[in-house]
Amino acid sequence: MTTQYTKPIPAVQPWTESFWKATKKHTLLIQKCGSCKTLIFYPRKICPNCWSSELGWQEATGRGKVYTFSIVRDMVEAQFMPDLPYVLAMVELDESIRMMTRIVECDPASVKIGMEVEVVFEDITEQHALPFFRPVEERLRTARPTTEKAAADSGTPTLMSPDDYRTILYDVSGAVCRITLNRPEKKNAINKRMAFELWDAFRRVREDANVGVVVLAGAGGNTFCSGGDLDIFPSLTTHHGSLNWLAHEGLDVQKAITECEKLVIAKIEGPCLAGGLELALCCDLLYANESARLGFTEINMGILPGWGGTARIVRSMPLFRARELVYSGRKDYSAREMFETGLLTRVFTDEQFGEHFEKAVAQFASKKPIALRMAKEIMARSAEGGSIDTALAVERNGIQWLTYAPDVQAMMDQFRKNVKS
Amino acid sequence: MSNKKIAIVGIGEVPCGIYPQRSQWEILYEICTEAVRDSGLDKDEIEAVVTVAPQAQPRLAAEISFGKLPEELGLKGCKDVCTCNAGGASTSNCIRLAEELITSGAARAVLVPHVTVHSTIPMDELIDFFAKAGMDLQWEYPYGTTYNAVIGMMTQRYMYESGATPEEMASIVVSLRKWAALDPNSMFFGKKVPSIEEILSSPMISDPLHRRECNVLADGGAAMVITSAEIAPKVTKTPVYKLGEGNVFFTACPVLRDWDMMARGFTVSGQKALSEAGVTKEDIDIWNIYLAYPVAHPIMMEAMGLCEPHQGCKPFMEGRTWPGGNMPWSTIGDAVGRGHTGSGVSTATYVDTARQLMGKAGSRQVEGARFVFQNTSGGSGMNNIATVWGKELI
Repeated sequence: MTTQYTKPIPAVQPWTESFWKATKKHTLLIQKCGSCKTLIFYPRKICPNCWSSELGWQEATGRGKVYTFSIVRDMVEAQFMPDLPYVLAMVELDESIRMMTRIVECDPASVKIGMEVEVVFEDITEQHALPFFRPVEERLRTARPTTEKAAADSGTPTLMSPDDYRTILYDVSGAVCRITLNRPEKKNAINKRMAFELWDAFRRVREDANVGVVVLAGAGGNTFCSGGDLDIFPSLTTHHGSLNWLAHEGLDVQKAITECEKLVIAKIEGPCLAGGLELALCCDLLYANESARLGFTEINMGILPGWGGTARIVRSMPLFRARELVYSGRKDYSAREMFETGLLTRVFTDEQFGEHFEKAVAQFASKKPIALRMAKEIMARSAEGGSIDTALAVERNGIQWLTYAPDVQAMMDQFRKNVKS
Repeated sequence: MSNKKIAIVGIGEVPCGIYPQRSQWEILYEICTEAVRDSGLDKDEIEAVVTVAPQAQPRLAAEISFGKLPEELGLKGCKDVCTCNAGGASTSNCIRLAEELITSGAARAVLVPHVTVHSTIPMDELIDFFAKAGMDLQWEYPYGTTYNAVIGMMTQRYMYESGATPEEMASIVVSLRKWAALDPNSMFFGKKVPSIEEILSSPMISDPLHRRECNVLADGGAAMVITSAEIAPKVTKTPVYKLGEGNVFFTACPVLRDWDMMARGFTVSGQKALSEAGVTKEDIDIWNIYLAYPVAHPIMMEAMGLCEPHQGCKPFMEGRTWPGGNMPWSTIGDAVGRGHTGSGVSTATYVDTARQLMGKAGSRQVEGARFVFQNTSGGSGMNNIATVWGKELI
């Protein structure tokens, strides 16, 4: 499995090709003027000191000291987000030239100005490796962080650490993972960061074989999610920006939820509107308290649900009622009414909601994750509305596979013994 | 002598804020007509338009470069039009271009406008723009540089060199926001000034920079009318004369710019401006410093010899730079206090330099202000352009 390197690659010039070729051999070169002997960084086409074209290379010692650094924690382009936090630094080489780099294999908190460092190379493409630096002192070193490529190769494509989530909470306890939309001051509205983190979280939980159930809830206990954050609207003012929000963030999040191979339960308290309702519709079971209010408000702004809302609502409740939600723009559909109309799994009074909800979660969590996973898959394919024969074949083969899964077979061994004896 | 000098005679500005519903052209109409009316000149006496290049707004840049402004405004006397781009320093270059047009006789009066509407640019494009602008695409950008990160590195080094504490660094923001809170053109007008503790408890963006030590991108526009020192007193009672200038270029790439180079460059360019103006630092009533992030303020403070070495934060900590202090400093609150309008913060700083010397700065007015020192800087800190302005020619 190979992964495309998505971060910017160095914009190589013809006269810097030698530098980058050497990086692939994990060698750091410094340009040197054959005429005035000046060491040059970054490499130029002519010597910036004497304008000679007689330029050559010498191999650097690869050692130096941190001149200054910053731990980058936020406000970076999307392709750098998985790296957060990272240590950007200026390193002064022993040859007295200074280069921009990153400090790796080191706890960011241990990085100090003046720290002695040595070059290590990060292979990013067939043509490029980036010179990074790590502490010379071994006691300051940590394990090499897994790169995207290495992570993909080892089958763990998750890119962030839950410690880095800022818009959601991620908590695993036993067979239950709780993913909580955590922007209560913004009614848990979805911004770009949250979309990215949700995608990451649902990809992450997929790798955890012990987890069978995921609870998707809103922080604060009185709002599930009010929809897309108005902050994203400036990004919708261009055609491609808008399309990306729908096709990239939107579709990625939906797919991450529907294809995470866990039983996903939405815990709906208070408003569950627009994009929030669309997130809920991606879940397998919808439990709501009586204060929950549902609706699609998009049409009030002249647009429509774009994160799967129109597609899923008509598959989730009677058609002539589903249409009203989309057309009316109302945000006050009560949980009771929605339950009676067939949308929600169950509704409990506000007072009893917490207790009943946890009881239900515990019940599902006691089932084998592998059975929950197969049930989700079989019912999803079945609900797609193929022929009954196809649906029956998917079911039959799925259950046959499950029956011969190792832990079910352990039980079967008991039956075999009993038959023999 | 005076035929070689220029003066700002008119200013116009819209308050800085976030208003995606306002078009760039609507703002241009407002600031330009306001500046021309303020100048005492007739619109047809404007003989050139030199516009601060609209960063990150390519369509507007094309329209303005190709002469749309004098046409929209019906400036019948206009003979020359162009835009000028040196990042945050652009306004200084626009003024110098105006100076050359005026002193060479090519134009008698020049309009210098700026407008930025960030709020209609998609956020990902803005982040992308500010990640790449001022960075080298081969030697810096691939490592994940951002403006905040580069300034974070500069701040880290300054704190290392000077021993400045996080509290002292935060006190710079307090000082800038004190001015901003009084300024109707600031996006923080009337807002509570955060305490040092509140600044330090805001989330860390790029160590040691906290969120409240970074800039908020905003929309805004400002304009000036510039004419010769001879014409100026005939059309207005409050001409604001440009008295001196000093320039230094450092490097485009932040990684090539070291500490001593910058400190020395600030000193040399600042001294040059003072000596050309024929004043000393003691004569300066207002230090209008534009550097877009807190860190460069104490560097400038030290470089201009206004405090002991490594004590650049002290005057901020002690409140001497605040409104009412004995060293009024960045009376619009720099980008941190005003809202970041691309290259526009430098335009707004010049407009406020003029406003103060015209005596029109309201509750921020520095009483009896005669001389203002102002600087600008472009890119990620590629240069420093220092100027001195006065109420009278000396």
